[in-house]
Amino acid sequence: MAGEPVEPPASGDPTEIGQRTRQDERTDQHERTGPVAIARHVKDDGRALILYTRDTRART
Amino acid sequence: MSDRSKIGQRFAELRGEEVVYAIHRQERTFLPARDHCPLDATRPGEGRAGYQTEIPFPSFEIAVFDNLFPAFQAPHGAAEVVVYTDDHDASFATLAPERAEALMWVWRHRYAELGARADVDYVFIFENRGVEVGVTLHHPHGQIYAFPFVPPVAALELAADRRLGGCAPCALLERELEDGRRVIHENDAVVVYVPYAARWAYEAHVVMREHRPSLLDCEPEELRLLAAALQALVRGYDALFERIFPYVMAVHQAPTVGASGAGAAPAGAETGRGHLHVEFYPPLRTADKLKYLAGSEQGAGTFISDTLPEESAGKLREAIERAA
Repeated sequence: MAGEPVEPPASGDPTEIGQRTRQDERTDQHERTGPVAIARHVKDDGRALILYTRDTRART
Repeated sequence: MSDRSKIGQRFAELRGEEVVYAIHRQERTFLPARDHCPLDATRPGEGRAGYQTEIPFPSFEIAVFDNLFPAFQAPHGAAEVVVYTDDHDASFATLAPERAEALMWVWRHRYAELGARADVDYVFIFENRGVEVGVTLHHPHGQIYAFPFVPPVAALELAADRRLGGCAPCALLERELEDGRRVIHENDAVVVYVPYAARWAYEAHVVMREHRPSLLDCEPEELRLLAAALQALVRGYDALFERIFPYVMAVHQAPTVGASGAGAAPAGAETGRGHLHVEFYPPLRTADKLKYLAGSEQGAGTFISDTLPEESAGKLREAIERAA
């Protein structure tokens, strides 16, 4: 269903990229990259859609 | 989802390069009417009831979604669309500075997530602007191709590292700063210059001062200053001939090959293996004349340029200052 939020994909093995993305925090409810909040959705045809919104409360 | 059987690649032996076939792309949306832009937000009740865009929300800031007509698709890479704003008439140049900075974080996030995949060796972020470079949708957006192999330009840059005995972009930046004639804009983190051997009349490279293999290696302030430098350049382009300036913008970063496997070489770990920089290839050589890739460029692989980089740099420097 378009617009339905979905869980982010599970993390893979720890890698250099994974280690360097710790500025990108993830909790059960909230995921963000730096000052930008991330909301994941799946479109009606199964394609991924991610909406990014600047979180003015976040500090970089 | 797209039919994967329509995507494939063949190795062209004479050129030593892959050619990608994505036959379904013939059917992609081509310059739709203003009120049927698939990259707009979906706004019911504005005289286009029933028309759902790619983004089924009434508003958004930045959106990324799987390309409906992908050149690459899992398990052999990915193709994504990055929509900068829900304002159809905006451009990268006119984004608020905070939005442009947020876009850097979005690029960074996509580089990290796509680059961690086992089927992705190189994450290529780019923007085509203007019908002169083949744009089919005017809404401000870029794209990401997550290549299942390291493409030739990235491989050439790695070869340049080996040839120069270290990070080639670091060495070239040092030369440009020492010479100074082709530097057109600077801030504390980024230098913009027309390269010594520019192929396009107004080609420009936006280069991190410090050795940063990818966006993942940048400090937050560096991302902010990268966005600022990119916007300064694009606004200067638009001021140069007082018209919307077409270009191809290509973000070059470290390959991600091996980044997903335990014990494999991490992206950018080797000294000189990739240096974040953004290259612009504008096809205009005057306000109304295009540079075409013709006999020498296509048949012999050698660019013939009508302009000197030092002269172009002077004009661009002035245009950037005028647009500031």
